[in-house]
This record gives sequence, C-alpha cells and structure tokens, in this order.
Amino acid sequence: MELIIRHRDREETVHLDRTESGYRIELGGIDYEVNVAHDGGAIHSLLIEGRQHEVTMRRQKEGVYWVNSTLGVDEVEVMDPLTHLARAAHEATGSGAKQVTAYMPGRVVEILVAEGDEVEAGQGILVLEAMKMKNEIQAESSGKVEKLHVEQDQTVEGGDPLFEIS
Amino acid sequence: MNQPVKNIKKVLVANRGEIAVRVLRGCHELGIRGAVVYSDADRASLPVLLADEAYRIGPAPSNESYLRGEAIVDLAVEIGADAIHPGYGFLSENADFARYAEQKGVIFIGPPASAIDAMGSKIESRRIMIDAGVAVVPGGRDPVADVAAAEAAAAEITYPVLLKASAGGGGKGMRLVRSADELPAAFREARSEAISSFGDDTIYVEKFVEEPRHIEIQVLADHHDQVVSLGERECSIQRRHQKVIEEAPSPVVDIDLRRRMGDAAVKAAQAVGYTNAGTVEFLLDRHGEFFFLEMNTRLQVEHPVTELVTGIDLVIAQIRIAEGRPLEPGLADRQPQGHAIEVRLYAEDPFNNFMPSPGRIEYLRLPEGPGVRNDCGVVSGGEVPIYYDPMLAKLIVWGSDRAHAIARLERALKELRIEGIRTPVPLFRQILRDEDFRAGRLDNGMLDRKLKSGEWAASQVDASELADLPLIAAAIAHAERQDVVTSQPKVSGGQRSHWKAVARREAVGDHSWN
Repeated sequence: MELIIRHRDREETVHLDRTESGYRIELGGIDYEVNVAHDGGAIHSLLIEGRQHEVTMRRQKEGVYWVNSTLGVDEVEVMDPLTHLARAAHEATGSGAKQVTAYMPGRVVEILVAEGDEVEAGQGILVLEAMKMKNEIQAESSGKVEKLHVEQDQTVEGGDPLFEIS
Repeated sequence: MNQPVKNIKKVLVANRGEIAVRVLRGCHELGIRGAVVYSDADRASLPVLLADEAYRIGPAPSNESYLRGEAIVDLAVEIGADAIHPGYGFLSENADFARYAEQKGVIFIGPPASAIDAMGSKIESRRIMIDAGVAVVPGGRDPVADVAAAEAAAAEITYPVLLKASAGGGGKGMRLVRSADELPAAFREARSEAISSFGDDTIYVEKFVEEPRHIEIQVLADHHDQVVSLGERECSIQRRHQKVIEEAPSPVVDIDLRRRMGDAAVKAAQAVGYTNAGTVEFLLDRHGEFFFLEMNTRLQVEHPVTELVTGIDLVIAQIRIAEGRPLEPGLADRQPQGHAIEVRLYAEDPFNNFMPSPGRIEYLRLPEGPGVRNDCGVVSGGEVPIYYDPMLAKLIVWGSDRAHAIARLERALKELRIEGIRTPVPLFRQILRDEDFRAGRLDNGMLDRKLKSGEWAASQVDASELADLPLIAAAIAHAERQDVVTSQPKVSGGQRSHWKAVARREAVGDHSWN
C-alpha cells in the first residue's frame, strides 16, 4: 500500500506491507520492520529493531490521527495518492474572505467591532472566555469585517466560525 | 486570641478537582467525615466518588455553583458540618465568605477574615509590609483609573511595567507591558479580567523587576501566638505568571537566606494577625535581596513539595490549628530533607500558546514506584469541563538530592499516560533536560523566553528518540482503519458485528477464550 503522510512541514511517501507480526514500512529511504501489538484499544506497542515504543493512535477524522508518544502529541495526516492529488488541486485555488474559527470551546463575552468595520492587523475583534481566562481575538491582517458569525454571550465549540475578514 | 479546642467531626469541602480530593484525604486520615459540593458538570467527578457525603450546589458555571458562598455556608449548617475547607481559588480568599461562616458558627479552615482583607488588597498589604519593615517591590502605590492615568504612571516608573489588579491573583488581571503602544489593550484586558474574576476593577502599575526568581515561604500560625516558617519553595518556572514547576528547597537558598526570608515571612504574618497555613511570596533578585510580593491566605497548589521535604501534612496541620490546637514543638528548627519537585498537569497545549484542551480523558495511567506522589482530581473516562481552571493533577517526586529528584521525575513522566487531551508533559521533558534548569539557573521569565526563542518547542526532539515514529504509527493506524472499513458488514443488526470480534480476538492474542 502506498500512502502520503504529512507531519508538521514534512511530507513523505510511504510504502507499507503487512507481515506476519506487523508491518514493513519504507519511509525516507529507510526500511522499518515493525512488530505490532495492541490492547484492543488505541494503545500500541511498536517494536522496531528491538526497541519498544508505547504509542497511542487515535483517529480524529478521516485520514487524520493523533499520535501520542514520548515525542509528544502529534497530529498526522495520512492519505492515499488519489486523495492527495485531489487535495493539492483544491489547495491551489485560494479564497477571498479569511474565516477565523474558535480555537477552543468557550463563551463570547464581548464583541469589539461591527460588520463592515475596517480593522487593522492586531486590532481586537472579540473577547472569548474559556476556563476562566479571557482572550482577545485579534485581526491577523488589516481588512474589512465581512461577517460576524457570533453574538455576545453565545457559547461556541472549538472550530465554530467566529468572523470573516477580507 | 486563645480559643478552646473544638473537635471537628465533619468538614464541608467548598471546592472541586484535585484539591477537593487532597482535603478529603486529610479529613479521612483524621477520622473526620468529608462532605463535598458539586456542580452539574462534576456529578461523577473523583471528589464526589471519594467523599462521604456529596451535595449539589448548582449548574456548571462557577458563579452559579462553587462561588455561591452563602449557599455553601447554609448547607454546612444544614448538614451539621463543623467546618468548611475552601481549598484554593473560588472562595478561599473571600473575606465575606469567611466572615459569614464565622457568623453562622461554622469554622472556616483558614485565616481570620480581617487577615484575608488586609492581604487581599495588594495596595493595602504593601503599606502594611512597609510599616512592618518588610521590603517591597519598587513601584506605584496609587490605583490608576483609566488608560491616561496608567500611561502617566508607567512613564514615571519607566517601562517595562506590570499592570496588576488590586484584588488579583494567579496572573489574572495582570499584564506585562514593555512599551507605551502595548498599554491600551493590556489595560483593557486587565480591567475586564479583574472585574469578572474579582468584581473589583482597581488596577495599579508597578516596576517590572527583570530576571527575578519566585521564592515563597510556607508559614503555619496557631491560635496561641505561634508563627513558624517551614522553609521555601522555588516557583520560578512560570508562564504568564502561572506556576508550572515548583521545587523545595530552592537551589540558591542557603541556611542563612532561609532564616532571613523565614523571619520576614513570620513578621508579615504577625503584622496581620494571621492564623492557619499561609504563603508569603517574595521576588529574589540576582544579588540575594528579596522583596515582598504578596501573601496567599490559603493552602497553595504547590504545598506538597513542602510536605515531602518537611514530613508535615499541611492539610492535617490546617485542621488541627482550626480546632484550636497549638503547633507541635520543634517545627521552626527543621531544615529540608532531600529534594521535591512538582509539575502541574493542565489540559492545555504548551506549544500552542497554552491553549486550553478540554475534552474526555480517554485513558489515564499514573506513574507509580518509589518517591512518586500523584495528587490527581480526574479519572480515566472523565470529562474535563470548559467551566473551570484547566489543572487536572499534580505529579510530585521526592529524591535524596536535586539531581535524583530530576531523574525520578523524568522516569515518572515516562510512565505517565494521559490520552484524549493535550498536556504540558512534552514541555516538562524538555525543561528537565535543559542545562540551565539542571544547573538551577532559573528566573521567572525563563519559560516564556525559551518558548519564544524556540529553544523549547514541539519540534525540539530528544536526539535519542526515533523522529519517524509519529509517521510510522499513523501509517499503521491508517492501515488498521482500512482493514476495519473494508471488512465491516453493510447491514448491522443488534448483534456485535464480525469485525469487532476479530479485533477483540486479535487484541488478547488468544483465540480460545470465546
């Protein structure tokens, strides 16, 4: 099986074959012989050249995995070559207004601008409160507030759209 | 000041999370019944599971639950609790709460309301300390009403300055301002946080002392005019004025400095008629001079490091003092034995601006073995709610010396697994490997500085680790997922589907069990 894997700013083509005890994985010119065992859940023991790695792989959404190891928690994207092609074509077409989403669940405690306002980079747009901390969400770049997706006192989930700046 | 001894038989814990668990443990070791209050978000939380009695106090938001002081005191009366333990945060430094408890005949396990009042106002406490002959940080003492006044004060003191909420604590309502153009936004944020966290928007401006160390002294004071210092804790590893790693003793405090800081802390406590456990925080500069910062009139998050090097259980000491018993003799002369370090496990991403990471704890394995203590407030499968402080647990280790304690903490962190949320554990590993940290060269700005410079970063990987591991693991997860998807039957009835059974058989590695 051939897979394209993205991790931070790295992108690798990986060849993966099933073996009796796990997988043979070719990555960046190195052949890894991986012996795999798991507890029935997400926790895996990966034995690579006799070295033990306790790793948890948790699927976030289709093709996106959270990998928890001694290196920390990493978000890794895995796709087949066809999906990769389609993704690359889509990413090439840019879009107009930039949508800003809530990076965490919380409550909108204050909105500092109105739709249609011209704002400068660094200007406060709204104040989001979560876990007792207030955070002023600022405009990353100068532009016009095209849309406000939230109202004062509204509760938002992580990933919900907050506003759009063109 | 003397009061007769009153045996406490039931304590109501007015808190949640790990500190509620910690207080329950102290109660149970004294044969005292432990009752807790819980919000709707905490019905199935660990403190409730460990308590002898549990009472709903309101919906999830803290101002409708854990901050309902009168309701909590009234509940204590109703259930026949002799005393209330406030933990830290929430109502622990609320003088009105302590006063109302006293009025209703419920013992508040903490200092008298007058001492909370005196130390609760930063401006007032500075004045008292100056009168008592305890050195304070240079800076403005007058509150600033608006941006213009703050700008004038900052210009006079000269940048960098700190904006501080008079009623503040834990970094809330506090902003570091390096230049005049940062001031308007910082002032707005500080005041907004101050009013929502403390209901008081009084702000003052203070000189920011560069590269100070945070050294604090634990004190105990009984109702028989005895105040003792139990030595220092160093808490210089902080981000945005929130402590992240604490240790005892400090690598730079010798017996002489310990005695001088201890004496100053005792003087500070005596100046406000303090009783029970408290912490006097100082800034220690490069030349060994120290300045009073503030007094925390409650049990501190980091109290376990003092417990491990002194052998004194501070929660038990608090309850004994509250019962009116005198301190046991000989406490003042103790020197720390060995070395203890604590790390705070928050639900947040250390490499993404400490963004909160609430959610479900899919799996939890706490470290064990020699010299390891877990003060944990959560269980595997539990939810981390968005309504409260994101601290889940503390991991504390003891070693025969500092190097041993560091090695033990590295070992314990390797055993620890928390799944489903992000925690600062990868950052802790980097800090513990850092040469400056290992040499004891710390200052309060170190963490923010090394994160900003990229010296401590998600991409900084221990050279002995396999850098390809995340990619290898994700490829395997994807391959396993493809197996699952392709072998899943199109129609599934009420019975367990075939692929799950296969997966379970694979999991136990034994086909004979079913």
